[in-house]
Amino acid sequence: MMKVAVMQGARTGAMNGLRRLVAAAMAQDLTALVVPGPDVARASGLDLAGAGLRLAATPRHASVLLILGPLPKGLRDAATVAYAQMPRPRAILALDAGDLASLPVADVTGDLSQAGLIRALTQLRELVKAGAFGADIVDFDAPALQVRIEFTCPMHPEVIRDEPGACPKCGMTLVPRETAVGGHDGHASAGHGATASHGSEDAAEGQSSLGHGISAQNNRGNHADDHGGHGGHGGHGDQGRHAALPLASHSDAHKHRTAKPPYSCPMHPEVVSDTPGNCPKCGMTLVKPGADAAEHRHGGHGHGGHSPHDGHGKADHAEHDAHKHEAHKHEAPSHDGHGHSGHGHSSHGQDDKAVVQYTCPMHPEVVSDTPGNCPKCGMTLVEAGSSSGDDHGAHAAATYTCPMHPEVVSDAPGSCPKCGMFLVEVEPAAADDPGGHDEHSAHGAHSEHGGHGGHGTAAEQIDGIEPGFMSMVDLTKDMPVSPDGLKMEWIDVPFGPFFPGLPGGLGLSLTLDGDTVAAAQAQGLAGTALELPEHGMAPAEFSDSLAAQTPLSPVAMGQLVSLALQNAAGVGIADDLATAHVAAVERERICSHLGWIATFAGQSGLIALERRAGKLQLALRKASTNEIARQSGAVTKLLRKVQRTPMLRSKLVSIGRFDDASPFSGPVARAAGIATDARQDDPLYQRLGFSLISGSEGDAMARLTLRCDEIIQSFGLIARAGTLSLPQSSGFDAVSAHGSAVVETPRGAATLSLRLDGGKITEASLVTPSAALLARVGDLTHQMELADALVAVASLDLDPWGAPA
Amino acid sequence: MNIFLILMALSAGAYFIAVLEGWTVHRRFSLSRPLYSALAFFGRESVLTRKNDLVFFEAGPVLLLVAGVLAAAVIPLAPGLIITDLATGALFLNAALAYVLVALIMAGWGPDGAYAMIGGWRFLGQFIAYAMLIVMPITAVAMRAESLSTTVIVESQEQLWNVFYQPIGFVLFFVAALGLAWLPPLDLPTAAGDLAGGVEAEYTGARLAVLRLARMVIILVMAGATVTFYFGGWLSPGFAASLPDWAWSGIKILIVTAVMLTAGRHVPRVREARYLAVSWKLGISLALSNIFLVGVIALVVPI
Repeated sequence: MMKVAVMQGARTGAMNGLRRLVAAAMAQDLTALVVPGPDVARASGLDLAGAGLRLAATPRHASVLLILGPLPKGLRDAATVAYAQMPRPRAILALDAGDLASLPVADVTGDLSQAGLIRALTQLRELVKAGAFGADIVDFDAPALQVRIEFTCPMHPEVIRDEPGACPKCGMTLVPRETAVGGHDGHASAGHGATASHGSEDAAEGQSSLGHGISAQNNRGNHADDHGGHGGHGGHGDQGRHAALPLASHSDAHKHRTAKPPYSCPMHPEVVSDTPGNCPKCGMTLVKPGADAAEHRHGGHGHGGHSPHDGHGKADHAEHDAHKHEAHKHEAPSHDGHGHSGHGHSSHGQDDKAVVQYTCPMHPEVVSDTPGNCPKCGMTLVEAGSSSGDDHGAHAAATYTCPMHPEVVSDAPGSCPKCGMFLVEVEPAAADDPGGHDEHSAHGAHSEHGGHGGHGTAAEQIDGIEPGFMSMVDLTKDMPVSPDGLKMEWIDVPFGPFFPGLPGGLGLSLTLDGDTVAAAQAQGLAGTALELPEHGMAPAEFSDSLAAQTPLSPVAMGQLVSLALQNAAGVGIADDLATAHVAAVERERICSHLGWIATFAGQSGLIALERRAGKLQLALRKASTNEIARQSGAVTKLLRKVQRTPMLRSKLVSIGRFDDASPFSGPVARAAGIATDARQDDPLYQRLGFSLISGSEGDAMARLTLRCDEIIQSFGLIARAGTLSLPQSSGFDAVSAHGSAVVETPRGAATLSLRLDGGKITEASLVTPSAALLARVGDLTHQMELADALVAVASLDLDPWGAPA
Repeated sequence: MNIFLILMALSAGAYFIAVLEGWTVHRRFSLSRPLYSALAFFGRESVLTRKNDLVFFEAGPVLLLVAGVLAAAVIPLAPGLIITDLATGALFLNAALAYVLVALIMAGWGPDGAYAMIGGWRFLGQFIAYAMLIVMPITAVAMRAESLSTTVIVESQEQLWNVFYQPIGFVLFFVAALGLAWLPPLDLPTAAGDLAGGVEAEYTGARLAVLRLARMVIILVMAGATVTFYFGGWLSPGFAASLPDWAWSGIKILIVTAVMLTAGRHVPRVREARYLAVSWKLGISLALSNIFLVGVIALVVPI
């Protein structure tokens, strides 16, 4: 029998008639996840749609991993994770990608050209048709997919152990969680943002661990059935339930705790006022809590007012708990421990009761010798005192307790020190039982359940509803407070490096509070540091390698090297040749801006514009001056249409404004009215009639307008230059000198200084415009709605290639 | 029999949508590609995310499909060609479509991924924006027909289609229908550029096929509802009356579907806050004045 080629990422199963049919269909339905991204594909001259490929927004919807050119390490690891997230059968198509390292060997390879792509796709279709199913498939594995199980305390995130056991601080059983082997290499393995691939629990370790790709590993393992081992990536544990790390400390949440103002909001205990009025956060009428309640809330426990719990995060708990345990020698793992301060603990240390009792988690007064349901609410009764029984054996002496705080027990009537409610008498039979502690054992099981400190008064006053039951205040009080007053769980979500609406290779990591960005971090994952061999590098070779490292603006980089070399050698070139080089740089600016428009349109859902701008970019990429002149009409028409797009203004105006005059360059600076352009003082440009264009608003709309205007301006410059040729960097033999140059790339001024030693470049340092912008993404997106934040980031036109991570 | 015919009509409509979407999104007109794509879904792994909420993950797409098919039950294609001619048909349509929200939130929550979850919650906000603007225009339509039965509503348009009788209501309903079917520019829950697929992002293989199919059914139902309420259902437009009733329904529904699919491609995705603001501040006032106007017209000029 003829040996049939089988894809490496095939599904398990022998080929039969039906599968053959399905495989043939799959061969016709190839959807690609492009690595690094469609923007790089366009800049490299590939028309993916023209080759019959559809693009996937997430690896989950992709059947082909299309790799363009050699990938830097960070992107390779991310691509590995993305590949692992793709459903089988999956293929790798590598165009001039070289060594793929942790990825499996490519199924099909080809040249990085349109013809190469089409040839490779034909081969791939054959392969899928024949080999989408295979009898014995070897699973792939890679270091980037490895995870390590470690154990941590739910209350004390700083406690991390390799072995299961009890927390040295609070004695709770440590819970397992996953982390990437070899520490957290940032986004390196963040995979595709699309898949929330980071383990949420990791957030507890801080932002450095955002978005690592533990998730993908599950694609290993048995894949005998559809679900086999694919668990994928969804490592976003419990919808980020643990991820609620207060990254920014909300000091204002604590600020009024110790005062005793008479009015406060029932929903926002932190809102207090001396005068009646409405809550500034939710507009509710402020209520006057009982004097005792205020007392309770603001101290009285020596904890400096922990009771409301809102807004303080795990770190606070750690402290709080430590305090508690020291003070009371108390090992109950729940948050609420205040109530134990001295009340009813006379029997600590007594022998635990032999009889197992059952109680209702909601109604501690319900106690039974047999398991069953609560007669009040129907909940299943839980075993009382099983986890904390040793310490809280019995409260034999207790006869009065607070209806809200069962842990508060007293042998005399009075009011609750926590909430001021009257203590109610507990029947002797019940009083013998570890009533109050049942709450502990029940709550101890879920560490997330907060204490009872901060019941909103509103919840307490509703008849017929169990106090605190489903109370929003209770459910959310341990979460960080955002400026809008809504408390939500914060989750860390990676957007990139292969996120559809952002430049490929950009690792954006957002901490989301609902759909508001609480914190952001951006990294150029594609950037690699300039490295020169010991003995130096020939100028031409250096120029090529720099251009290869910056696929989004290779011509500008070539021009930069060429000018720096000329300055070093102190020689000039003929004016008409220099003008032709300038024209090449301007052509690249047109293409780059068009490419940005395409990415931006894709993000905003303007599919037609994305397609059209991408087409024009491809057409102009290598165009001659005549061809450029021919296309200029079509481009101008498109740009006019762009700016007239209905509803575009309302989406872009006032989005992405920097609140200070920052030392940026390029379109971002010019759109804000800062007159900075390296072309301004260049005599060549002056001869071509260059005049600086600038905007004033500095928002996303201004950037769009400015880039459109610059495209039209560049058409004019090329027309006046008349000729066009690519800058060259050869010659310069035996020159030994320093030289530097500045070129206005499509994204701003880039500076290169280099040292020539006997005709070889031995030292070089490059400053790119994107590095400064990347660092400001956090400020830019602070407290923006997610979609707006992404618009703001996209409007910067960041170049992940130019800024070494 | 009617059930079979209407399910066949739904499948044909879904195929039409797939062809049309291939054309609008990818600029490729291919009659065979949707068939390949549908078949290919069953060849791909249906990945189960790791920390999923299995019940929600599995039930979301199915519930969406069920909600869509239930809503289709009260859309008449011709006199008698309706699965169930309820006296409260228009209300039933609303009730069935309410489950779209539930299904989408379930599908967003189920896989335990941030994009899906945000997508699901976004749709909750979107629901708040469109919900009133579905109900209130229908109220005005029912006022004219003096019935909630969808067949009576169609017959009430014998003299003049509602699109001309109450154009404000039509515009509001159409935009709300785009929102309900999360079509661009209101595709917030599944935005590719913002959320990498959002609710759909974690679904693969057969489950994704169900989700996409359900979505197509929802689009068809909304187009069907628009035709029923505003374009006189099976009524012929006066000229060329030689076509059978069901053909008129079919043609009208396909045209409305095509407009729904292409209308939003040339405007950017709407910001959620703005969508809510416009829907409530402008939309609801307009919907109220529409009800008032229709009431006055119905009293004064009996047509």
